[in-house]
Amino acid sequence: MSGAAPALRVSRLRKAFGAVVAVDEVSLEAAPGEFLSLLGPSGCGKSTVLRMVAGLVEPDAGQVVLAGEDITGVAVHRRNLGLVFQSYALFPHMTVLENVAFGLRRRGVGEAELRPRVERMLELVRLGPLGARYPRELSGGQQQRVALARALVTEPRVLLLDEPLSNLDALLRDEMRVELKRLQERLGTTMIFVTHDQAEALILSDRVVVMEAGRVEQIGRPEEVYRRPATPFVARFLGRANFLSGTVAATDAGGIVVAVEGGLAVVASPRPGVAPGQRVQVTIRQESIRLGPPGAGGERPNRFAATVVFHAFAGQAHHYVVQLADGRELEVAAPGGAPALARGARALVEWGPEDVVLLAGGDGGAR
Amino acid sequence: MRGGRGWGLLLPAVLLLLVAFVVPVGLMVPTSFRPYVPLVGITSGFTVSYYTRLVTDSYYLEIIGRTLALGLTVTLSTLLIGYPLAYFLARSPSRWRNWLTILVVFPLYLNLVVRTFGWIALLAQNGLVNQALQALGVVQEPVKLLFNFAGLLIALTHIFLPFMVLVLIGPIQNIPRDVEDAARVLGASWGSTFLRVTLPLSMPGILSGSILVFVLTISALVTPRLLGGPTYQVMSTLIYDEFLQRLNWPAGSAEALLLTLMVLALVFLSGVLTRRTGARA
Repeated sequence: MSGAAPALRVSRLRKAFGAVVAVDEVSLEAAPGEFLSLLGPSGCGKSTVLRMVAGLVEPDAGQVVLAGEDITGVAVHRRNLGLVFQSYALFPHMTVLENVAFGLRRRGVGEAELRPRVERMLELVRLGPLGARYPRELSGGQQQRVALARALVTEPRVLLLDEPLSNLDALLRDEMRVELKRLQERLGTTMIFVTHDQAEALILSDRVVVMEAGRVEQIGRPEEVYRRPATPFVARFLGRANFLSGTVAATDAGGIVVAVEGGLAVVASPRPGVAPGQRVQVTIRQESIRLGPPGAGGERPNRFAATVVFHAFAGQAHHYVVQLADGRELEVAAPGGAPALARGARALVEWGPEDVVLLAGGDGGAR
Repeated sequence: MRGGRGWGLLLPAVLLLLVAFVVPVGLMVPTSFRPYVPLVGITSGFTVSYYTRLVTDSYYLEIIGRTLALGLTVTLSTLLIGYPLAYFLARSPSRWRNWLTILVVFPLYLNLVVRTFGWIALLAQNGLVNQALQALGVVQEPVKLLFNFAGLLIALTHIFLPFMVLVLIGPIQNIPRDVEDAARVLGASWGSTFLRVTLPLSMPGILSGSILVFVLTISALVTPRLLGGPTYQVMSTLIYDEFLQRLNWPAGSAEALLLTLMVLALVFLSGVLTRRTGARA
């Protein structure tokens, strides 16, 4: 990243459809070879950003700069980008080979050079022997690999992926994630990946851009956006968590004490910019909460007596809902290897002050 | 549909086809081989003369050729005018699409005879078209647009255009926009995308629309009769005259069977073509 021009820079991009502002002042950068995800719920404008980068949607304002070159006004077919669609969008009347060769032919690559390049790319996505098939004769996963090969064979400056894994079933999706990541590491292609699946974004990305209602909420490495969400939306959208609203009661070197509505006192690690009396939202991730055998609560910070009111086993984890003494319910995810606690069991819940995320506002569940 | 229920659903249609199509056409076969003697009628005997004259007599060959040429040119012109229109309709926002489609279909609500007389008024020696052409100085003398090929081509194109458009809209709508977008991102210009992606994927619609218009054109009777007059004949008017003017049923049967055969051959051919292109699309 140091010094080199970003592979892609989008600045203050804006697009409205009628009265609806789909993309509002979105700016972001991708370094060469970076895997950048645009993450957000459906309708947050992430796909529109991608389509504006591709040139399929014309922005109302803003700039798209590709490796230092302003391409905002350049026609779609002259941008030399790759785009992979959720629907695969293969040419149904062409064989796999012809699909992959399409971009090369448009660039006037001769037959002698074309053939080996197409075949090498098909090998790379493990579709070597299927070149003569038609798309309808392939499975969903194979079709998406053809789409990937078709987009990559022209060696695009940036590869754009619009929810490419969302039409695949769960098992195949996991497989394709790994394949996509390895392909990216091998080819070093800059990739912009649009998804609504937070797990996918965290696993694949070098950095994640979290979007909501046409705006960028936060840009950061996966650990950053997950552990230190900048806004209540990011906290809520990434991972499962418990949200409590309260008021800062005291701050000192040892930590910040938040009086949560209902009488609970939660202690968070010290951080600047928090003053007593401020309304805050407390976020505690499900997996940050430890469940222990019953005992007396309250003698240590963030330790409370609780009763299990719901339990479900999900393989990697046990999902619990526990009820505290004041009637408040918390969601807890415990490691799947641990013995299960039955409904009605008494337990102790505890979390570390470093696991507590404080965000200004404190409107709790409003968003 | 593995049980008998599927056939039960087909039964009414099959019966109708049998009574209204297969039986009458079948009955024409023996009739077409009987000699017809003027003032006497159909006699018992056997002759193939009505068939041989269809394929040897230049008068009949010209009519057959004219009918096929008319079918071909009307099909081509409805395709050339209809495709852009259908494309526009298929790609316009849905709230517009319904109204525009009604506009396209609207001529079908008018009686065919009325529409044809409309064209007579327009195309006549001193009709609107000629008056306009002369006023604009495009031509000095009126152009002959009635009782000839040009008149039939213009009127039949207008009459069958809605059929072509209606058949084309569906297949064009079914082409995913993503597929066209993919082509453009891969470096295909608008024109290249149209030629390599949109047009090949419209082929099923183009084929069925063309077959429909071609068959409708070569079997059209009212418009060729009114706009072609008594002398400018096509196969359907010839058949009509044999049966109802000259009362020569055997000759009419032979000609009608030839027309039916041509239509069936075409429908069969289109089936093969559709399977071939459709299999890939």
